[in-house]
Amino acid sequence: MASQVTVFVENKPGRISHIARILGKNGINIRAITIADRGEYGLINIITDDPDRAYEVLLEEGFSVTRKYVIGVLMKDRPGALADVTEYLNENGINVANAYGFILKEGDRAVLILEVDDFDRAEELISSGGFHTLTREELQNL
Amino acid sequence: MQYSLRRGAGMDETFWDRKIETIDRESLGKLQLERLNRTLKHAAESPYYRGRIPERVKNLSVLNDLPFTTKTDLRNSFPGGMLAVPMEEIVRVHSSSGTTGRATVVYHTRHDLENWAETIARSMHMAGVRKKDVFQNMMGYGLFTGGLGFHYGAERVGALTIPASSGNSKRQIRLMRDFNTTVIHITPSYALHLFTLFQEEGINPKEDLHLRIAFLGAEPHSEETRARVEELYGIAAFNSYGLSEMNGPGVAFECKGRDGMHVWEDHFLLEIIDPATGKVLNDGEEGELVFSTLQREGMPIIRYRTGDIARAYPERCPCGRTHRRISRIKGRTDDMLIIKGVNFYPMQIEKVLMDIPEVGNNYVIELETVDYLDNVNIKVEVRPSIFHGDLEELDQLKRRISENLKNEILISPKITFVEPNSLPKSEGKAVRVLDRRNISK
Repeated sequence: MASQVTVFVENKPGRISHIARILGKNGINIRAITIADRGEYGLINIITDDPDRAYEVLLEEGFSVTRKYVIGVLMKDRPGALADVTEYLNENGINVANAYGFILKEGDRAVLILEVDDFDRAEELISSGGFHTLTREELQNL
Repeated sequence: MQYSLRRGAGMDETFWDRKIETIDRESLGKLQLERLNRTLKHAAESPYYRGRIPERVKNLSVLNDLPFTTKTDLRNSFPGGMLAVPMEEIVRVHSSSGTTGRATVVYHTRHDLENWAETIARSMHMAGVRKKDVFQNMMGYGLFTGGLGFHYGAERVGALTIPASSGNSKRQIRLMRDFNTTVIHITPSYALHLFTLFQEEGINPKEDLHLRIAFLGAEPHSEETRARVEELYGIAAFNSYGLSEMNGPGVAFECKGRDGMHVWEDHFLLEIIDPATGKVLNDGEEGELVFSTLQREGMPIIRYRTGDIARAYPERCPCGRTHRRISRIKGRTDDMLIIKGVNFYPMQIEKVLMDIPEVGNNYVIELETVDYLDNVNIKVEVRPSIFHGDLEELDQLKRRISENLKNEILISPKITFVEPNSLPKSEGKAVRVLDRRNISK
């Protein structure tokens, strides 16, 4: 299963670069990053090639940080691909708490990251729907 | 016991009660001694004071040897320890903030309320309020003394009294316009805040309103703040002093000279003490204000330590009143906070926060001025142990803190979450209250 690292940060200049630098120094590669904002503070969600290491080094640096299972759906990088996946989720009543995507190689493949409420059921449904969900290793070796 | 009631008996253009306001100091001293002895005898009827005070003193200086009464004594004597009359004689109760049995409760008989209204009427008349005035009382009505206290004094003067209470700024502005309000009672911070709303509505208070007098109360403020209110509204602003233990507003007010507040010494016996030693200080020396009630029936209080720091003016006031003046309140002997007219202690906030396991010791309380209003900002560290990567969970925690605090101190502080280790570490006695308000003390 793929996992995402979530960090609590205050909304002040330099927080993202600080975190990115910590991960960079430790040889951890960032695949994607998103921010959920609540004004004076927020959450930074990060997909890396090594979520466990990312979690540990950020914790050591004094951050409040968690790991969370997410579903990484592999898609073709073409018009309508995201619509195919999300329509399927909608038809099957899967509630998405957070979603973001990134391109692996332009014109080739992209990944949709999903945070869902009922993780096991959602993953099973997505797989049985003919979509490829990434394992932890696959996400690491992208 | 019966006290004579004066309903502006000696009223003329300058004085509400010329005889008492201009009484010579010697006669005032005799009157005070007579009333103090009446009060001592009467107070001895209460379970708290029985055996604790003499029933009679030979002269006023003997008072200096009597024990003090503190806020803690008041709380510990709840519910009826300081009552000097049967409970059925009580017609009103006022109480300070607090829901956990720590409230300070003061009981009033009908006579006490009459006397209270009288001191307010005298004070309002002194500032120039007359029967033809329209008085908008923008202080909270309820257990807080600022609303009802002023209300009955204003009616006694004969002014048209609008019980607007606090808040609801748009309605306040509309009332001022509809009734041509001439006099307001308001906290200084709210007066400054309200001005920004006048600007938004395109109203110029100087030209579009009929205001001429403001009573600023319930909050410590500086001479600069007064000057600013006067300039913005084009009015005369009067400082006032009171505390719920001594009725509320009506203890000391400014005359038209607006240089120090006359303490109504026929109602309240003033001493100023060194808060460390309890020794009585001379006029002119800064110290803690101590009051004894001289006309209270329901709940007489002897030598009450207010915790407020000020000095008495040794000079006689040119206005002709002989009652001594006190300076602005310079500070507190304890850590009591006064925000938006509500009194509370950091300890009250701390207790609420510590009772929430997610918060524990990881907080600071910041006091700041935002848009002329005093704010409480509580910063809570989001430690790794309470963080589960869920914003909704943090929202809920914030709501819980806010509601618990509202229940305890009656105001809604702003809650901010901060990163771990960003607050000062608790080494010994950590500084958990940071006062950044714009008050020149």
